[in-house]
Amino acid sequence: MTEYKMFEGCTIGNRIPFIEAASRKVFDKVGIETSQAPFTCCPDPTGMKSFDNNAWLAIGALNLCLAEKEGKPIISLCNGCTNTLRGVQYQLKHDSLMKEKVNKELAKVGKHFEGSIEVRHFVDVLHENLDKVKAAITKPLSGLKVAVHPGCHYMRPAEWMESDDPLRPVVLKKLVTASGATLVEYEEEVLCCGSAVTNAYEEHGLANLKIKMDSIKRSGADVICVNCPACFQQFDTRQRDLSKKYETEYDIPVLYITELYALAMGYSADEIGLKFHRTRMKSVLEKLGL
Amino acid sequence: MSIDFEFRKQVMDHHIGSDLIKYCYQCSRCADNCPVTKVSADFYGTTGYNPRSNILNALLGYKEAIFNADPLVIWGCTVCDTCDEVCPQHIELTEIFTFLKNESVKKGKAPEYLIGQAKAIFDSAKAIPSQPAIERRREQMGLPPVIAPNATEVQTLMKNIGSDKYL
Repeated sequence: MTEYKMFEGCTIGNRIPFIEAASRKVFDKVGIETSQAPFTCCPDPTGMKSFDNNAWLAIGALNLCLAEKEGKPIISLCNGCTNTLRGVQYQLKHDSLMKEKVNKELAKVGKHFEGSIEVRHFVDVLHENLDKVKAAITKPLSGLKVAVHPGCHYMRPAEWMESDDPLRPVVLKKLVTASGATLVEYEEEVLCCGSAVTNAYEEHGLANLKIKMDSIKRSGADVICVNCPACFQQFDTRQRDLSKKYETEYDIPVLYITELYALAMGYSADEIGLKFHRTRMKSVLEKLGL
Repeated sequence: MSIDFEFRKQVMDHHIGSDLIKYCYQCSRCADNCPVTKVSADFYGTTGYNPRSNILNALLGYKEAIFNADPLVIWGCTVCDTCDEVCPQHIELTEIFTFLKNESVKKGKAPEYLIGQAKAIFDSAKAIPSQPAIERRREQMGLPPVIAPNATEVQTLMKNIGSDKYL
């Protein structure tokens, strides 16, 4: 079995660690082995990359070097981190001049980037192990209606993410169906959560989130399932701002796909820290009889 | 409006694949599919965020039209990469926009949150630094501590690249 270097990322590791807890429990059940490394920020493909592309490439390459040193692939829990690490690898493999420049900088901190290891999004690894996932499910989530939001950076840009269809993604839907829950589709499935623009222009970010949430509400979903911490926070924490601004009650709980799986694999809400969510989980737990 | 040829050259060079931006025929699929254009622009696209206009101005070297305008012209982009996927000419728009954002940072016009994040990464090597309350929560949940990264290495890289000047 492959041992992966766990890249939990800044948001999950240092702000919402309950998602890491659920993910590690699910990985154990499925037999995905991980170990840690002193990774820095990936860095953020919507933040640091916009600040300075050269610094983004160099710091991203620094992280890849840490995994290369051990010759182990990376498993990332976050769309943004996966996007950066795969993007840096892709750009440096396609631009030998830039690779030379980055290696010149890395040499000053005693490192050298080769591009020899793989970077995997955890959703793709779970998808590959779907049989093992299904075998570990002891409490199918029958009757729970789930809307999915895979998030932009899981599948775009297609050239370097090489995961799902960039405009009609299906993998997260397959994963949700495997839990025994009922998938509900909605019009705005591939619409961005708007996390990045909300940071700079809250007015436009919330107007975008409203389009997304209205569509999810119309679908009749009990819960939104995500696989990215930035999207998770956008839905979980900004729903209240949205309800206030537009005087509409949304109140749709949000679950990470690994939280959904942890419940289906028999863990209790307490064991995976669902109380730390901002949106109320009560309706979901009642529906599941938990 | 004047044409800045050096700026045009930098735009062409920023593309990963090649200088495909030359083949933009302003079809507007990017703007039609842009979530921020949808919520910020008027019917004619004369206000708000517009990826098509940015590509046109970058291609023509109209530097002032981009950098002397409302910062929303650059920073309205939410980095969803939708435009890249729908462009019939396979232009990597987001890469061009990254270059425009990097230049905007040098002119001191970046949004506050962005500089805040870059500072946090410079200081602690993490966009969100470790906090005692979260460390305790990790322990309660049976999680191993996050292994501390080497912040000095990140600082050395950023100083040598010159991005510490804009923090």
